[in-house]
Amino acid sequence: MATANSTTVVPPGAVPAARRRHGRRGDSRYAWIFLGPSLAGLALFTLFPTAMALGISLFDWPVFGQRTFLGADNYTHLLHDPIFRRVILNTSLFVVLYVPLNVIVSLGLAVWLSPRIRGRQAFRVLFFIPVMTPMVANVMVWRLLFQPGGLLDAGAESLFGVHAPNFLGSSNWAMPAIVAMSVWQGFGYNFLVFSAALDQVPQSQLDSAAIDGAGLLQRFRYVTWPMITPSIFFATTMTLITSFQVFAQPFILTQGGPGVTTQTLVMYVYNQGWQFLNMGLASAAGWVLFVIIMGITAVQFFGQKRWVHYDV
Amino acid sequence: MNGTQVRSRRWLIVAVAALMVGGLSACGGGSGGDQSGSADKADLTWQFWVGGTEDQAAWQKVADQAHTDHPGITVKLQGASWENYWSKIGTLLASGKAPCIIGMQSLRLASYSNALLPLDDLMAKYNILAGEFDKPIMDGLKADGKQIAIPYDSGPMVVFYNRDRFKQAGLAEPKPGWTVDEFKAAAKKLTTGGRFGFVTTPGDLSSLPWVLTLTGAQPLADGKLALTAPSFVQGYQGYVDLVRKDKIAPPVPAGSTDFQTTQFTAGKAAMMVDGPWSVISVKGQTKFSLGIAPMPAGPDGSKSYTAGSGFGISRSCKTPDAAFQAIVSMTNQKPLAALAAAGRAYPSRPTAHEAWFTAADIHGARETLDYASAHSVPLVTSRNWVQASDLFNRFGVQALNGELPADQALKTVQDQAGAGS
Repeated sequence: MATANSTTVVPPGAVPAARRRHGRRGDSRYAWIFLGPSLAGLALFTLFPTAMALGISLFDWPVFGQRTFLGADNYTHLLHDPIFRRVILNTSLFVVLYVPLNVIVSLGLAVWLSPRIRGRQAFRVLFFIPVMTPMVANVMVWRLLFQPGGLLDAGAESLFGVHAPNFLGSSNWAMPAIVAMSVWQGFGYNFLVFSAALDQVPQSQLDSAAIDGAGLLQRFRYVTWPMITPSIFFATTMTLITSFQVFAQPFILTQGGPGVTTQTLVMYVYNQGWQFLNMGLASAAGWVLFVIIMGITAVQFFGQKRWVHYDV
Repeated sequence: MNGTQVRSRRWLIVAVAALMVGGLSACGGGSGGDQSGSADKADLTWQFWVGGTEDQAAWQKVADQAHTDHPGITVKLQGASWENYWSKIGTLLASGKAPCIIGMQSLRLASYSNALLPLDDLMAKYNILAGEFDKPIMDGLKADGKQIAIPYDSGPMVVFYNRDRFKQAGLAEPKPGWTVDEFKAAAKKLTTGGRFGFVTTPGDLSSLPWVLTLTGAQPLADGKLALTAPSFVQGYQGYVDLVRKDKIAPPVPAGSTDFQTTQFTAGKAAMMVDGPWSVISVKGQTKFSLGIAPMPAGPDGSKSYTAGSGFGISRSCKTPDAAFQAIVSMTNQKPLAALAAAGRAYPSRPTAHEAWFTAADIHGARETLDYASAHSVPLVTSRNWVQASDLFNRFGVQALNGELPADQALKTVQDQAGAGS
């Protein structure tokens, strides 16, 4: 009977359940072996320091002298410290200005270069150069542009007879100056990501949309955009994370000044830890930064379902 | 859970634990601090700030002097850039693994003095007299009355000026005893055609001598920051007014520690305040003739601060006698004269000054430095000075650019740095 036989019939290619389980066990052991080095690295260089920082953040931890347990006092101090509040504001301002500008500039240029125009590859290399050159060298050049008597100031004076603003010495101008420099320095990476995504959009679909009467903007909105949303999601997530961690540009361009108007969260951590040797407060500020980045990245991942199309 | 899974998990836990233990012990290890030996026989390590391979070679020669004087002692130089140096020795001193010999700057001494050995007993034992060195810098390297480091360089803050521009403007060159009013009159005349008579910086070493000469006020009272005292505020206001009211100096950018030097060497500003340690390097960057003059005299005469650096011994050093003998050799006449001749430091020993004057070849240098040194005091700092200095740089820019009134800038520095001790 079919029913009697069905228990013993094995479809071709299938593996008995017992062997399957055994096989998985064998695979799992090898998987652990292969994962081992990177897991060990993660544990040693990421998880352990993160947990250690959380521990240190609960202490008054001067580099020399007595360590005292404080509980949450470092966090309370940060909450009430006007400089730390300003630092959070500065970092948010940088993110709010930098991320959209970076995406707009890189996407705009990538779209502009996406038709197969002459010299396209040369432009791609050209736009990527600022990403490859050392940040310190870039910042030094921009400082010569921005400082009083610098290129912008001297240019404004000789052309219009007026002085340019003191970009790096004015509380109103210093942050926009840092954002401008950062966008110039950083857009090349996203530009490459977007260029690659745009190259993947099938020409046939764009052509058929054009035949159906779709204009340039409509083709971009309804054909190109949905297809490049995964790249845009990737680019915005990564840019957002790195912009919360901004350090080198304000550190070299303004040292966080004038006052604390361009001091960012990572600079605050660096100053507290390595300049003022106050490891407890530095660790607490580091954890605040970690929680902010984790929170915003989580929101982005949950929100992506609404606008990112992986299946087109 | 079956046996294989348990075994593999156990294996994983053991592996991760072994790695973490290995990592922890690696963190606990470190270089330096391992010196052993006796007073006359030891291999010592010396942590110091160096600017590059050429600098490293010049300072290694200083270290070699110890071996020449004491064949049993060798000193190995470990260099770090100025920016990285302070965090590096901070961690080394904290871990008890610091090398025996530590480079120390007078302004930062108060922050690190707990981790360094007082040298008074060793000075008495080896018959080293404080009087062999410039007094202001010997005092500047003391903490709570105890000598913490022996200086290799020193120097009062002085006015650097562009002799060519003074000549072109038909101005007499500044002489010891010149007054603040004479300084302002000269700077006003030199402020013309997009160029300025003077350039300011928010940095402590260049701004505080102005406060001192204008009102006599010092940043510390009883070892604590006293920046909101009326006389200090008045003096600081006087400094800010050079930009805001007198308009003899340009606005300043934030975070640019070399702005004053670049403005001065480019001929855009005719005067600046700096220390003698910068004279020879500034001279090398200028196309004009360089002169130096003491700080202009305020109501109570010319006043300035002396700063400098020296070498101390870490408390964890097992051979302090050998380290001290090495330091004595390294701050002796011969290496100091060699450093001076190479343009690296204005020597802390008056007997080595001659070599520096010959190498610098600056108009009026001897007269100026002798006068300025006699009219200077050490800039005594508090334990939180690194923080105070950082805040001076930040809020000083806002004060000099007119974004924040001088008294508010000082109050912010005072409040944020804490009273200190």
